[in-house]
Amino acid sequence: MSEHHDHDHDHDHDHHGAPPNPYLEKRRSGVETAVLDARVKKMEALLVDKGLVTTAALDRLIEIYEHDLGPMNGARVVARAWTDTDFKARLLANGTAAIAELGMSGLQGEHMVVVENTPTVHNVVVCTLCSCYPWPVLGLPPSWYKDAPYRSRVVIDPRGVLAEFGTALGPDVEVRVWDSSAEMRYLVLPERPAGSAGLDEAALANLVTRDAMIGVTRLPPVGKAA
Amino acid sequence: MSEQARLDIAVMDSTCALPRRSGELVFHDDWERRAFAMAVALCEQGRYDWDTFREHLIAEIAASDARGPSTGPGAPGYYEHWLAALEQVLAKSGILPVAEP
Repeated sequence: MSEHHDHDHDHDHDHHGAPPNPYLEKRRSGVETAVLDARVKKMEALLVDKGLVTTAALDRLIEIYEHDLGPMNGARVVARAWTDTDFKARLLANGTAAIAELGMSGLQGEHMVVVENTPTVHNVVVCTLCSCYPWPVLGLPPSWYKDAPYRSRVVIDPRGVLAEFGTALGPDVEVRVWDSSAEMRYLVLPERPAGSAGLDEAALANLVTRDAMIGVTRLPPVGKAA
Repeated sequence: MSEQARLDIAVMDSTCALPRRSGELVFHDDWERRAFAMAVALCEQGRYDWDTFREHLIAEIAASDARGPSTGPGAPGYYEHWLAALEQVLAKSGILPVAEP
């Protein structure tokens, strides 16, 4: 996947329940970078000489970890469901099989269950026991997902936790909390945002956020994103 | 591509958790990507266990914290620790000699 993914809309959520990570803002001087760059290049050259790695294999590995394993895999699933009603029906009936249709693998025997948000039902995913997470479609879990406060509180007070993520739900909306396990992984199918009628599948995928697929947020109307 | 290696990396937590934003890995410079990929590639080949690498990474971060503040200008970042841990593991596994200073 090559679409540029805009991260700027949800920085704050990475601080939820976890200390801010100073590394994310850190920048080195040009001299420091040059020294480190030379050190790493030398290591790579030695490993290539020994036949242990190839530059192309490392490039591919970086590509997989940096892009393919990110939440855009899940975003592709959601965008396809929004644009293809037959796919959506298959997705809700058998998430594992429908996701495999898109060529995504990495599931280790666990079942993917996709739960659909509607105007009257809001779904949110947690793993109360540990940190089970549908990582083949959502990438690496956010730190707050693994923290005890989220894991315990979202079950007891889902509306309160959702409000902390800026998601205010009316009393007429039923909240369903899905507890992941080693066997069952859940993915929320968010509601298609208002104002997205003219967009194609790739543009739609760019609207879908990780947090919306965990179910802690809803997608804002198009053109009004923060 | 080893699924187990991916999982091991995905579940790294607390002090050795990978820098990321919105679930995706964050790299500032290309050398960080290369160092990341070399550590993962050699682990996937079975040259060492991911746990071995992770223990060195944790020790490296702890040693750095003991030396001084881990934030601010000039302080080493996550991938400096990663690189130091990788050099140690490569030396220990007999893959590469100890890096020259």
